[in-house]
Formats: sequence, C-alpha cells, structure tokens
Amino acid sequence: MIASFLSASRLAADVLQLRSTIRIGITGLARSGKTALLTSVAANLLALSAGRPALPAVSEQLRGRKLQVSVAPAAASAIPRFEVASHIAALAADPPRWPARTTAISLLALDLDVPREGLLAPLGAQRRRLEFLDYPGEWLLDLPLLGVDFADWSEATLRRLEAVECTEIARPFLAFVRGLPAGVKADEALTVTGHRLYTDLLKRLRDEAGWAFLQPGRFLMPPPGAPPPWTEFFPLPGRSPLANLMQSRFNAYVEAVRRDLMSPMFGDLDGLVVLTDLLSALNQGQSAFADAQAALAAAADALRWDQSWTEWLAAFARLELPPRSIGRVAFVATKADHIAARQRTNLAALMRRVTRIPDAGTTSAVFAVAAVRCTEDVVETLAGRPVSAVRGRIIGEARPARFYPGEVPDHPPDEAFWQHRFLALPDFEPMRLPEAGRGGIPQLGLDSLIAFLLMDLL
Amino acid sequence: MDTAPEPFLVLEPEVAPRLEAVPLILPTVEPVRWRLSPALVGAAILAVGFPLLWAVWLVSGLFDRWGALGWAGVAVLAAGFGLIGLGIGRELSGLAALRQVDQLRADLASGEADRVATAARRWLEALPQHVAILPAVAAAETPESVLALLRAGPVQALREATEVLGRTAALQSVAIVAATPSPALDVLTVGWCGVRLIRRVAALHGMRPGMVGTLILLQKTALAAATVAATEMALNAATHAVIAHPLLRHLAGDVAGAGVAARRMIVLARAAAAACSPLSRG
Repeated sequence: MIASFLSASRLAADVLQLRSTIRIGITGLARSGKTALLTSVAANLLALSAGRPALPAVSEQLRGRKLQVSVAPAAASAIPRFEVASHIAALAADPPRWPARTTAISLLALDLDVPREGLLAPLGAQRRRLEFLDYPGEWLLDLPLLGVDFADWSEATLRRLEAVECTEIARPFLAFVRGLPAGVKADEALTVTGHRLYTDLLKRLRDEAGWAFLQPGRFLMPPPGAPPPWTEFFPLPGRSPLANLMQSRFNAYVEAVRRDLMSPMFGDLDGLVVLTDLLSALNQGQSAFADAQAALAAAADALRWDQSWTEWLAAFARLELPPRSIGRVAFVATKADHIAARQRTNLAALMRRVTRIPDAGTTSAVFAVAAVRCTEDVVETLAGRPVSAVRGRIIGEARPARFYPGEVPDHPPDEAFWQHRFLALPDFEPMRLPEAGRGGIPQLGLDSLIAFLLMDLL
Repeated sequence: MDTAPEPFLVLEPEVAPRLEAVPLILPTVEPVRWRLSPALVGAAILAVGFPLLWAVWLVSGLFDRWGALGWAGVAVLAAGFGLIGLGIGRELSGLAALRQVDQLRADLASGEADRVATAARRWLEALPQHVAILPAVAAAETPESVLALLRAGPVQALREATEVLGRTAALQSVAIVAATPSPALDVLTVGWCGVRLIRRVAALHGMRPGMVGTLILLQKTALAAATVAATEMALNAATHAVIAHPLLRHLAGDVAGAGVAARRMIVLARAAAAACSPLSRG
C-alpha cells in the first residue's frame, strides 16, 4: 500500500513538476568504466538532441517527440563538475586516448526538455534536470553494513581475512588483533594502531590482490572534509572495553551511512547504476571472481530493501523523514564489446544470477553494456570450426586483432570452468567517433540502459 | 565446456585504419500532414474564379460601351487586385518569417559551429537594433560561445522589451475590464487586447504577421504558453508590481476578472516571445 502511495505521489509530483531533478548514482567496483559510461551518456544524449541517429531504444520510447538536451551550468554545488567536453575530445582524438581514471566524486548535470504526448501534449515540454552522480563504488559496499551488528561483522571479516591467499598482506593486522589480551581496555593508542593496520590492509587487498568486497568503504574513499573521530575503528571480536568502544564507533559510522543516503549532496537518489567488469574477474581467477560475486550479491541485497510500515513508524518516532528507497537499480556488466554478440546474452544472464535479480523486474534490471564500443563482431574459423569473435585495434598497434577470450558462462562458474583459460581483456582503442563526438559515441546496450532509467520520464 | 574452442588473440597480417561505427538508421516517425480537402479547394476556386471572371466580363463590357470607360475599369480592377495581392504577399512573408524561426531554432540547436554561426547571423540581420553584436558573433569560435553571446545580448534585450509590452498590456486590460459595461464584452475586449499584444511582440522580434500569420502565431503561442507556465510564482509578483497603484489595485480587487486579465497579458507576452524567439529559453 505504501509502495502504491509512493508511486502515486511520485506521478503527481512529476505531473505538477514539483520535483524537477532526477538524480542517478553511477557507481561500480574498481576500474569498471564509470568515466567512459558518463562520457558516453552525455555525448549520446546531446547527439540525440541535435537530431543525430543515436540511442535507438530511447528514440523508440520518444515515439517521434524531439528531446532537447543541454549540459546544465554548474550551480553552487560543492561537488566538482564532470568534464564532458575534455573526455569526449580525448576519445575523438587521433590517436584516441581513454579518459583519465577519476578518483574524486563528480557530477554530470543535463537539462532535458521532454515533450509530453497524448492528452497532455498541449501542456508543452516538461523540463527536468538529470544529474548523474559519480558515486564511489566503495561507498556502495557500506550499504550492507546497515543490516548487521558489530560482533557479527567482526567475526565475518576476520574469517574472510584468515582465508586470504596472500597471507603476508593480512598477517600484520591479524597478528595485532589476535595478540590483544582478553578484556583489553579502551586505549586511544591501540585504537589508532588497529585502525591504521586495518586501513593499510584494505588498501593492499584492493591494489595488490584486486579485491572489491572491502568494508567499510569510506576507509578507502573518505568523504570530503576532516574525518570525525568515530571513523577510527577496526573489526574486533569478543567482549572488552576496547570492543565496546569499537562497537559504538561502528554504530556511529552506520548511522552516518544511513544519513548520507538521505543527504541532498550524496543521497536522495532516484536511480542507481552499479557497474562491474565481470569479464576481467573471470580472467583473474576463482578467488577474484568469488570476491566480486560476494560484493555484488551484498550490494544487490542491500538495495533490494522495500519500505515497510514499521520503518515509517520508526522514522516518525524519531521525528525524521521516512527513508527513501531508490526507484530503479541497474546492474551493468561492462566491456560487453570484448565478446561476440552470442556471448553477450550469457554475460547478462551471469550478472542476473550473481545479483539474483528477477527476470521481469521493473525496478531492477541487468544489462551487458559497452559504453564506448571498440570492436566489431567477426566469425573466425578455428580448426575448421566457426568461432564468434570480435575484431578491433589494440592501442599502439596498427594491425587489428581478432579476439575470443573463452566461453562466458551463463551462471556462476563451477570448478570445471576454472580448468580452462579465460584471456585477459586487451586494451582496444575506441571506434572513430562520428563528427568528432557530435554524432554521439558508438555503444552497445547503453541505449537500453538509459531507456530503463528514464522510463518514467519518457 | 570441453567442446568450447580454445581462446585466442591473433593479429591480422595487414595494417588497417581505425574502426568506424556502422551508421545507425533510426525509424522515422512521419509527422501528421494536413491534407487539402477537395471540397475546400473547390470552394476556393469558385470563390476566386467567379469574381475574377465576372471582373473580366465587366471590363470587356465597359470597353464595348466606351474605350475610356474600359480603361477606367482596368485601373479599378488592377488597383483592387493589386492591393489584395499585396496583402497576400505580406501574409506569405509573415508565414515565411514564422517558418524561419523554426529553422533558426533547429540550426541553433544543431551544435555545428558553421550552422550555428550562420543562423545567428541570419537572425541578427532581421533585428537591426542588435547588429552591433555581429562582429563578436563572427569572432566566437564555438557554438556554445555564439549562443552565450546571443543570450547575453539580443535575447536578454528582447525579454526585457517583452516584459514592458506585457506590463503595458496588463495595465490596459485592467482598465478595459473596469470600463466595459457588460462582462460578456470582456471576452471580446481582452481578446482583442491579447491579439494586439501578440502582434506587437512579433514585431519586436522582427516579424510582421498578417491575418493568417497571426492565427498561426496564436496557435504557437498557445503551445508555448505551457512552457512559461512554470514561471507562475514570478508572475504573481509581476502582476502585483503592475497593479501597485492604489486605484488600479482597487479596480483589480473590485472588478471581477481584472486581476486575471492582467495576469493573462503577462503570460501571453512571455508565451508569444517564446514562440517568436529561436532562443527563448536559456
């Protein structure tokens, strides 16, 4: 009933133009292509607005209406603006350059004029501001913390760390925690040391072991401003004054995560896109894939919450606004142009099974996307057998390459899969941009993703 | 899995250029075209043809009577049809100007440097009071800078002039509604006031629409009205500013419809400007 009421109120707000901004968070596990996706979204929407044949799925939904899009001027926001023009110029250059990897938070804002249709057509176009917030992927993995308590989280974290293959990375922190005496007092020096060791461990697991499921995410990507003292904690099982102090700081951290979800700067999202490079995870091996799978499953579970009347009552009791759920969530497997068309269906199916998203969901969906297309599909004959592959130029190489990384499974791979090789993805150069980017950026599946995110608006 | 081929990465022997995307062809939705009704065309042929035949027959009859009378008939006929032709010409030029606004709007939104610069020059040439900005437009290198120049210069000036016209019309409408003896006549007088306002706003934007042009402009204004309706909050403030005079406030308060008429004039001026300007929003 609450969901129906929310839908009705959202529709009414849209018709009356009470809410003029649609904010979509773009997040992803490390090196999943957030910058390329944002650049392609902006370039293709601008191209569509200029009458170029871009984004067929969006054009189909528009049914002949003319979409007007422009880059919104930077407002008095504290979030840095996403540099669309320089990123498009880098991709359009000859030889092309991939946009530099961004580590800071940024915001892409577009103004959209969407003509209404049917009986509402005489009311003219509705103007909306579409904001894409480059939401840190590390923060996404904080959402599962909302549902766990400190003792359980500490136990689970230490269990995972003890199973780390590269034991020398985890050894200093584990030795420190296991060496603490029972009933240890709440000492600030111990807290600082434990926190430093744990943060170093998270950074090394990310940079050296390629792990993605690392919590708390804000330890790796702190929000702007000076860190409050309660951010210094580490997983510590058992009962002791120090564990109690860690628990109180953990609770404060979780409360801050909850608050951020509703803050006008980083929260208040209408939609969320979670990007993952599943193909690279398949190449990195069983433990890397298991880590990515655990991270995605945890994120998907955290984003699947539905508002219940108890949450509403609890919020009213605290004299707060009820928590706002994210309207649409898309899980996107990136670099889909590195495999042939036949395998892209498998990639989407693999993403669906990993995230456990239902087949016919209207609020969540999975996609296999190449935001900036680099290859074309070809058929290669191998030992007399036709094999679907892709063809493109690797950066720095004048001769094109034909590439088939291996079979992409349509479900989480079993032991038999890991007996076969799965090649690392080469660094292909982007296709030539039509009209130096004014005609859009060649893409695969991005139009379906945008059409899904803007379904209510279009 | 055992039947799956071995993965491979092989380089082709020949050097090849950078890959090009296959151009997309989007399904085009045909706009609904207004088809001429045969009955309407027949009526138009009769309406024009018979008076013309009758005039020729009359002039030939006058020549039969007396040559000088015939020439006088020719002169009257030429003057009459000449003036009608002049009116039709003005209508057509007004319609062409309206069509040009749509073309300019498309060109300015194209994002192509040459197209935007040419459209900006063409628009400014139709606005003699703003030609001083032409050198700056010629020097601007990017479409964005050309549009920014237009928004800062002519668009801003036209917006301010439109506001003045709207406020003046609002004052007139308050007075007209107060002076009209019958509420039924309000519709006519305020309607006339509105049409006159639309034509004045069009003239401000370099257009001289005729009768048909005004009708089309009315239709475009109605469509544009929704886009400016979002400024409803600002409109209340504008209306209050217009009827700040104690006497006018008294009139607007006492005479039913006077305040509404004033608000409509301000909306109408803004909507007409949105319909006439190729860069009405920014």
